Amino acid sequence: MTKQKFKSNTLPSLVMIGPVVLWLAFFIVIPLLYVAVMSFCGIDEQYNIVFRFTADNYKRLFNANYVQIYAQSLTIAALTTIICIVLAYPFSFFIARTLSKKKAILYMLVIIPFWTNSLIRIYGWRTFLGTNGWLNNRLLDFGLISSPIDFLFKPSATVLGMVYSLFPYMVLPLYTAIEKLDKSLLEASADLGAKGVSTFFRIILPLTASGIFSGSIMVFIPSLGYFFVSDILGGGNSDIIGNLIERQFQSGNNWPLGAALSMVLIIITLLLVKLYQKCGGDMESLGV
Amino acid sequence: MTRKNKKRLQKGFSIVYCCLIYLFLFLPITVIVTNSFNATTSKPYMTWKGFSTDWYGKLFDNTALLESFGNTMFIAIVSTLLATAIGTLAAVGMYKYKFKGKSVIDALLYIPVVIPEIVLGISLLTLFSNTNIPRGTLTLVLAHTTFSIPFVVFNIRARLSGYDKSIEEASMDLGAGRVKTFFNITLPVLAPGIFGGAVLAFTLSIDDVIISYFTNGQTKTFPLKVMESIKSGVSPDINALSALILIGTIIFVVITQSGVLSRNK
Amino acid sequence: MKKIIALFTAAAMTLSFTGCGGGTSGETGTGGTASVGETLNLFVWTEYVPQSVIDDFTKETGIKVNVSTYSSNEDMLAKVKAESEGAFDIIQPSDYMVEQCINQGIVQEIDLSKIPNFSNIAESYKKPSYDPEGKYSVPYLGGVGGIAVNKKRITDEITSYADLFKPDYAGQLVVLDDFRPVIGIASESLGYDLNETDPKKLADVKEQVMKLKNNIKLYDSDSPKSALIAGECNLGFCWSAEIALANAENPDIEIVFPDEGAFLFLDNWCITSGSKNIEAAHKFIDYMCRPEVMQKVLEEFPYLCPNKAAVELMGEEYTSNPAKNPPAEVIEKGNYNTNLDNDTIAIYDEIWTELKK
Repeated sequence: MTKQKFKSNTLPSLVMIGPVVLWLAFFIVIPLLYVAVMSFCGIDEQYNIVFRFTADNYKRLFNANYVQIYAQSLTIAALTTIICIVLAYPFSFFIARTLSKKKAILYMLVIIPFWTNSLIRIYGWRTFLGTNGWLNNRLLDFGLISSPIDFLFKPSATVLGMVYSLFPYMVLPLYTAIEKLDKSLLEASADLGAKGVSTFFRIILPLTASGIFSGSIMVFIPSLGYFFVSDILGGGNSDIIGNLIERQFQSGNNWPLGAALSMVLIIITLLLVKLYQKCGGDMESLGV
Repeated sequence: MTRKNKKRLQKGFSIVYCCLIYLFLFLPITVIVTNSFNATTSKPYMTWKGFSTDWYGKLFDNTALLESFGNTMFIAIVSTLLATAIGTLAAVGMYKYKFKGKSVIDALLYIPVVIPEIVLGISLLTLFSNTNIPRGTLTLVLAHTTFSIPFVVFNIRARLSGYDKSIEEASMDLGAGRVKTFFNITLPVLAPGIFGGAVLAFTLSIDDVIISYFTNGQTKTFPLKVMESIKSGVSPDINALSALILIGTIIFVVITQSGVLSRNK
Repeated sequence: MKKIIALFTAAAMTLSFTGCGGGTSGETGTGGTASVGETLNLFVWTEYVPQSVIDDFTKETGIKVNVSTYSSNEDMLAKVKAESEGAFDIIQPSDYMVEQCINQGIVQEIDLSKIPNFSNIAESYKKPSYDPEGKYSVPYLGGVGGIAVNKKRITDEITSYADLFKPDYAGQLVVLDDFRPVIGIASESLGYDLNETDPKKLADVKEQVMKLKNNIKLYDSDSPKSALIAGECNLGFCWSAEIALANAENPDIEIVFPDEGAFLFLDNWCITSGSKNIEAAHKFIDYMCRPEVMQKVLEEFPYLCPNKAAVELMGEEYTSNPAKNPPAEVIEKGNYNTNLDNDTIAIYDEIWTELKK
């Protein structure tokens, strides 16, 4: 009986697992392997890829210019993550702690702006912050400034755009973690005479740390690659790793170098995910 | 007294704080809506030339823009259906059966979730370019399905953790075949998870910029059309279309949400 | 968590609804012309071919035209090579890039007998150095990489590319997001060649380019006029017609032709070797050589026009405006880009990366 059951499981499991295995093999494994191979290739005078082993691309990666852009990109990502945590934590706390009926509406209000195309919202910031934009004009009208402030086309503008684009990815896990907090625990802590601050650092923060970790991963990693944000708001003055890769696949016409740069990004991602798991992070909470 | 005051102060502070965050989130939306009423007709459409609703009419003459919107919807629907079908089978299969390499599949599923989109974008580009698959609607559907599958799987898996296998066995004991059991028992139970996953897939697809940018060929989706227009100045009809999409979204959210709430009562 | 999913659900339903509407209108939009069957895929510079002109062509011939745009020659080359054969029928490379395309075999010979309006092109533009037999390219528009100056805000006299490198103009500049022209003018400002290849001299060029870093506020090849009009930047290195258009919005913005000799460009129509719509492509190029069509183009994008007959149709306002129709002596003194070898390109790429980091 058991043997028969085992045998008969083969076909259904093939039917169910087969498609996903084939799909992942074709569209994830093969492309990534190809990128890895390509990163060791060169190009000829016609910009065609030449399949001949070379480590030149990797040597170029250690060029001081590139290293500085990685540093800049990592700094932008770190700032984005920190600002997101600082802004989103109290915010998630407040919504998670309101009455359940209102909660739905408040949460919905976070999601709604994200149903509008992300590029056009970033462009909206550009219109708002421009030298001749709405903000500068109002400030001038009220006599608060005498000449327009340059908000745009610098790294801070890129950080703003990143924070804006990735904010919900921080709210979602924080909200989930805070909602799970046991209210009675907080009350007990307060009853035992703990001050708000110590309750926060000793109880609330450790219990919601998982939310902070997964939120950070979901904000930090994408902000290394969102080249359109630094294009639109950074004006080309605050390039991130994503810009480097994009350039090699477009005007740079050097796909192997772009592939090697992508490998850098893959390695950074892997390291961060490992670190996340080491900190007790749960992979599941990144997916949903 | 003091405690009550303190509570009130806290509440006041939290309301102000939340309002500021919402202001931050909705600010660009206000800019978009305002610009959709700009009477300007000359590129780069930057100066305010008075109020006008003309662009809402002109929008329906802009066939290229409407076409891009149609493309976005088509690609989103097809890739969502594909990803949902493949993802549902995979989630259930991985839950029900033990087999070698399960953890490998699991790890692979996390790749599109954690890896920066640009890496997936360029890797698919090199695949399509190398295998000479012409870039276009087909490749966009393939790419979007790829990054959607994991979200479907994970959504269903969250649902499966509370799933009782014995009802399936009961169904089979009662003489229903595997296929029948899958469609009559398993699917209805998992429906909310499947639907949630599908919705997420749809959302990701309609707003995708980076992966589409590398795999689109001649086919333009709405986000890519926006990207192109940003280069030369976003014309108010694009703002108008965005505003319409937004208003449509809000209306339906309100209707369905009030439906959900009244049913809850 | 369920609430969140419910919210997503609601919003998704909305979108699928609006989606149906959009989908059908999109289909009816193309349905009429699609029945004719022919589609021409154009790959052109942004802000270069007016949509109205393309719509007229479709109306006249029933050939549907699909337009994609690019921002630099290198972008175009990358995309054409990455796409499968015949993805694009017509491309618009500049001077040196035409030569590159011929060498790479990605363009095919144009049958001039099918382009009777080619006779409208001025003799001096036929058989250019990059296509000595004139077999592969038909000139479209050209111009100068000029200096844009907002005379109201910049009171010093700007006369050369070298002036752009002065530390006085920190954060004032919009430049093309295109490495060949930018590095080229840095080289010219030192008295070197626009297409410098000597590694020793390029080391100086690199130093010179870095002086620009602090002055550049924005890189924009597509619509640098936006930043000039918005007052975001008061100085610019951009395409001449962009300066003309900025001038039309704000008369304070004027064009200056540099003492060193201006950077010149001339863009051409080419048919890709993989094109499957060769007849339609010839038809289109011929259409684009008609004087009255080019007149429409020039009204929207006032560049230097090799089409003699079209220039005759344009009024005094066009011919006497130096930003629109650069004077002959500027053209004579100017330089075009030429193709560089891989090692030099690698140095250029490095300079560019250092500038943009």
